[in-house]
Amino acid sequence: MNAGQPPGERQSAPDEGGEVLQLPIAPRATDIALHELEIVYAFIYARVGNRPDAEDLTQQVALKAIPRLREGAPASAIRGYLFATARSVLGGFWSTRLGLSEAELHEDLALAVTPTAPPSQERADTVQRILAELSDNYRRVLELRFLHGYSLKEVAAEMHSTVGAVKVMQLRALRAAAKVKME
Amino acid sequence: MNKPENRVDKIVSDLLRGRRLKLRGGDADEKAAITAAARLIAARQGPQLMNPAFRKGLEQALESAPNEPWLTRRAALVAGFGLAAGAVTGGLLGRVMEPAATAAVRGSAGGGPIDPIQGRWVDVAAVSDLVDGQGMRVTAGSVGAFVFRRGESVTAVSSICSHLPCELWWNGGQGLLDCPCHPASFTPAGKSTSTTYPLPALNTVRVRVTSAGRVEVLGTD
Repeated sequence: MNAGQPPGERQSAPDEGGEVLQLPIAPRATDIALHELEIVYAFIYARVGNRPDAEDLTQQVALKAIPRLREGAPASAIRGYLFATARSVLGGFWSTRLGLSEAELHEDLALAVTPTAPPSQERADTVQRILAELSDNYRRVLELRFLHGYSLKEVAAEMHSTVGAVKVMQLRALRAAAKVKME
Repeated sequence: MNKPENRVDKIVSDLLRGRRLKLRGGDADEKAAITAAARLIAARQGPQLMNPAFRKGLEQALESAPNEPWLTRRAALVAGFGLAAGAVTGGLLGRVMEPAATAAVRGSAGGGPIDPIQGRWVDVAAVSDLVDGQGMRVTAGSVGAFVFRRGESVTAVSSICSHLPCELWWNGGQGLLDCPCHPASFTPAGKSTSTTYPLPALNTVRVRVTSAGRVEVLGTD
């Protein structure tokens, strides 16, 4: 399926003769959901930061939600149901692994946000927006570690510091980054 | 290695290598830093699309999904731990586990106690570990439970919702067990809080306190 075109928007082929019309084929709820799952996957990935967990959780959402979809439901309703399921699955993932209630995690995960379109360049700017809010040292350590992929040793050399001090600074920088409103 | 900066760096290093999040209970203190690290790494990589092979596998899995892909509650009662996201791998797991689970549980109707056949008492905590009025999630083999202490009394209920096979979580602020799958809550005694659509009570789990002050739950090997 073409990921760029929702299955519900298949168009009739232009016909120069103007007499033969190809009726649009009504999409199945499963096909609509598979298209919407691209956005769900990006939503989940943005909150777990790794592919294996993102794939597992997306599969959980699909297996949990899709068999329950009503045929004929509009894409917007299917998307809403998929995201409700994704929030539940993500909340369960984090709360189980950290031993916390979902209420305690809700803000950290920004679960209230429901994307309405495929991810765009805007998300790629998120890092810069977060870093801009931090002090110079915090910004530098996160830039080197997260954007350039430096090891702790390399960061320490670059910042004329020690590995131990950089570890502590990284932790404090992440705590500060968590306070920056990301959406 | 127990210092928070070491734990968080281990998690960051794993994420930078594309590995899974491997967390443990003590990491909760740094939840903000860990979730921020995950989000920073994701944002650095930009918008992510599903891998084509994963997408194809997903389509095939959905095409061949059984009509009733939900794990039954009865199976979940003994499957217990690890099914938190509810019917996660329900299609396969549900079919594989149900016969054994049915044989392994007696009296699992709403509110009744879970009595595993050939069950055994499993040490889950010290009485002193239990905070008065606060739920503690424990596992006794394949039986998951929340244990409560109220004064000198210790009780336990199943950690599986009485409606769907979803793992409940303890909402300490409200003093209730909440279901992540739908808006339902239960008191520590296992009673549904909804007056409009009350659900059956949670199954109780047999629990005892030894003379040594240890809490034991009747579970499985």
